[in-house]
Amino acid sequence: MSSRESILAAVRRNRPEPAPLPPVADFGGAATVEQFTHWLHFIGGQVIRLAAGQPLTDAVRQLYPEAVRVASDLIPATVPVDQHTPTAVLEAVDVAVLRGELGVAENGAVWVPEANMLHRALPMISQHLALVLDHRSIVATMHQAYAAVQHTGNYGVFIAGPSKTADIEQSLVIGAHGARSLVVLLR
Amino acid sequence: MKVGLFIPCYIDQFYPQVGIATYQLLEKLGVKADFPRQQTCCGQPMANTGCEQDAKPVYRHFVDTFRGYDYVVAPSGSCVYHVRKHYDVVEQTAQVQHVRQATYDLFDFITSVLGVTELPGRFPHQVGLHLSCHGQRGLHQANESEMTPVREGQLSRLLRTVDGLTLTELNRNDECCGFGGTFCITEEAVSARMGQDRVQDHVLNGTEVLTGGDMSCLMHLEGIVRRRQLPMRVMHAAEIFNAALQQPSKPVSTFVPGAVAAL
Amino acid sequence: MSHPLRAAAFTSDAERTTWHDETLWFVRQKRDKAVYGIPEFQQLRQLASDIKEHTLSRLDEYLEQFEQNARANGVQVHWAADAEEHNRIVLDLIRKAGATSLVKSKSMLTEECHLNPYLVNNGIAVVDTDLGERIVQLREEAPSHLVLPAIHLKKEDVGETFHQHLGTPKGEKDPQALTEAARLHLREKFLIGEVAITGVNFAVAETGAVVVCTNEGNADLGVNLARVHIACMGLEKLIPRTADLGVFTRLLARSATGQPVTTYTSHFARPAAGREMHIVIVDNGRTRQLGRPDFRASLKCIRCGACMNTCPVYRRSGGHSYDFTVPGPIGAILSPNIDMRQHSSLPFASTLCGSCTDVCPVKIDIHAQLYKWRQIIAQEGELPAAKKLGMKLLSSVLARPGIYRLGGKIAREGLRFLPHGLTHAQALNPWAKARELPEAPKQSFRDWYAQQAVKQ
Repeated sequence: MSSRESILAAVRRNRPEPAPLPPVADFGGAATVEQFTHWLHFIGGQVIRLAAGQPLTDAVRQLYPEAVRVASDLIPATVPVDQHTPTAVLEAVDVAVLRGELGVAENGAVWVPEANMLHRALPMISQHLALVLDHRSIVATMHQAYAAVQHTGNYGVFIAGPSKTADIEQSLVIGAHGARSLVVLLR
Repeated sequence: MKVGLFIPCYIDQFYPQVGIATYQLLEKLGVKADFPRQQTCCGQPMANTGCEQDAKPVYRHFVDTFRGYDYVVAPSGSCVYHVRKHYDVVEQTAQVQHVRQATYDLFDFITSVLGVTELPGRFPHQVGLHLSCHGQRGLHQANESEMTPVREGQLSRLLRTVDGLTLTELNRNDECCGFGGTFCITEEAVSARMGQDRVQDHVLNGTEVLTGGDMSCLMHLEGIVRRRQLPMRVMHAAEIFNAALQQPSKPVSTFVPGAVAAL
Repeated sequence: MSHPLRAAAFTSDAERTTWHDETLWFVRQKRDKAVYGIPEFQQLRQLASDIKEHTLSRLDEYLEQFEQNARANGVQVHWAADAEEHNRIVLDLIRKAGATSLVKSKSMLTEECHLNPYLVNNGIAVVDTDLGERIVQLREEAPSHLVLPAIHLKKEDVGETFHQHLGTPKGEKDPQALTEAARLHLREKFLIGEVAITGVNFAVAETGAVVVCTNEGNADLGVNLARVHIACMGLEKLIPRTADLGVFTRLLARSATGQPVTTYTSHFARPAAGREMHIVIVDNGRTRQLGRPDFRASLKCIRCGACMNTCPVYRRSGGHSYDFTVPGPIGAILSPNIDMRQHSSLPFASTLCGSCTDVCPVKIDIHAQLYKWRQIIAQEGELPAAKKLGMKLLSSVLARPGIYRLGGKIAREGLRFLPHGLTHAQALNPWAKARELPEAPKQSFRDWYAQQAVKQ
């Protein structure tokens, strides 16, 4: 008998009494820009509200005046990135400016599906990350976020703030392996 | 109402004043408790060591001793918790079920059965309350900090009604003292360290009298207080109330004898 | 060596014990603050518990559904009955990929299976990429906590380790600088891009996706740069629906560290074009635990570590005192299922205070299971002989009121009249190492009560 068969047989043999699958309630909550901003700040990120009609390119230039290598499909990029881009090129990206699909008010997370990433590694390998988000696409909780996303696709990530660690004496350090900073540009 | 007093073994031998205070306090609240002489122990020391099987004769003896009482009251939440929670391994006769339901921690009894919400009297000291885990997390006599920031419970409410008494605000409101029954011997190092840390919290925050509803925790903490010769008294809460509450001028109990059957 | 001995060694450094306790208590407080902020938190715990209970009751069906969906996504699914088979499967996959090195993000399962030494012995260079895991890997130690693997170390210790292995300046102990050094060191490893191993936090039956939660981004960086992704999971990681992730992601990070959510919550369902993804589903004793009604709830565990942070014993004895992959209260109920004899002291490394049960986000009755393991360990004859005999003796006394009264009197009188040096001899009486015995009174309560009766 293969391990697959023997494991499944053991599971069946030891199956507990049936227990119902509960429906997951939507607990409501505030789907506000204020909550989203509060929590993103709390976890080390930053929210910038774009003024009406302010070009995204200007905002990015103001935020990252030193950035030479910018990858993006939203503004003119200096580094073209697609799924075939070699690692060495990805590794040199200073800033990636990508589209976030939706934001979660209760924790500052932003849903970034594969289609928005240019390359799957880009949001993590880039030194800095800016996510552009429509303020109308903020939901209250993770329940509502998963309900809105429906299917998480081939690959997708909720990104909540910059990469961080507290593995040395519980001292919080921003910029572990992924992006050293995260800005959400709300429009 | 027939109330049987259960005085746990170590209180009987080493802290008789706690048994006396319990008895007298109940008397002041209008309850004449009876102490059946054949009582021994609830069996917890064996069961917590893994020897539940060995404890069964002790469980049966406990039930035999107290089956004739409407209530069994003990100044020890831990023993009460054990009777209620762990006497499920002997046959659930009507007597066993009755004794399990009828066994109360002293302050739960005073609050829930007698309906007493305040105990007038005077005790002009800063009192540090040690919440015992079995009373708090087991019998839910106080809010757990794991659940809510509100520090409220039967015993703290009663203590606040005593004139002149101030309660210590602790850094850690409800951390375990480290007694843990045979744990205090088998894991001596961690047990002692836990006790020292609890005592230190009280020292830092100005406790003059360290109290609680469970003498086993207090025995452990008192052992540390005395070893370190700290200027702190350790008293069971029954002793505090009994000292504070001289003969009550008006009845403080809303309890109506004869209403027992309805409870 | 048993838990008490290792714990005593840990507490003998009083200052470090204080630091360890306070650091983890701080994490517990952060957890409390996060929990108090969510009014429905207790309902979420119940939901999570119910979802897991349901999943366990139909685990075979969900495993098959998951496998089918994962395969349809182009993922290869492997089954391992035990640690040895798991390690063999992983090694085979690495060899087939023609790789000699790999990066690995946090996976308690691979720790449980002792994958690292196995791969190293077979000539594979393994690099743990979680900062804490990398630190303990360089030191050739085991992680001491589920979520904070290097919590037993001070920054000076890490500085010394990095000085030796990564060439940081001697005496450098600034966490920021040390983390930066690790970032640069590990980037090189990520860029090699051969094989990436990850653990799995949740496996979603209805989509075949696995969800990995990290703060550092190391899982995503590793996987997305590697040709081959191998995700290793215990079979209890299943959940039925994507919607269930809403419940678990709200609980996990809040319970673990007090964060509102982990930085990266990553959903891997299909490999990128031209790359491979494998999932290894491991039993290694889990179906046996499923068959133990008293203990199967331990399979609901989502490895948040909250029970460790809250455990007053863990905080003062350190993760290594448990000598098991998963330390703390949850480890103490998982370990006897693996090897009861070896881990027989762990269910006793608790005061049964119940705080672990109260913080558990999936409502595992941890302290009740500790109590039940004690009963089984005693029945199986794994108690130390003195303890066993003592309890038999105690029981025979306590069931006989006459003997009991005599015994109590002897104990009290003994305490009254024997010299303090004898009653408090530390070699004979562990109680007396740090504590005084009660001052024995002249009269017991029962004697007083009898006198009252006479007076009346």
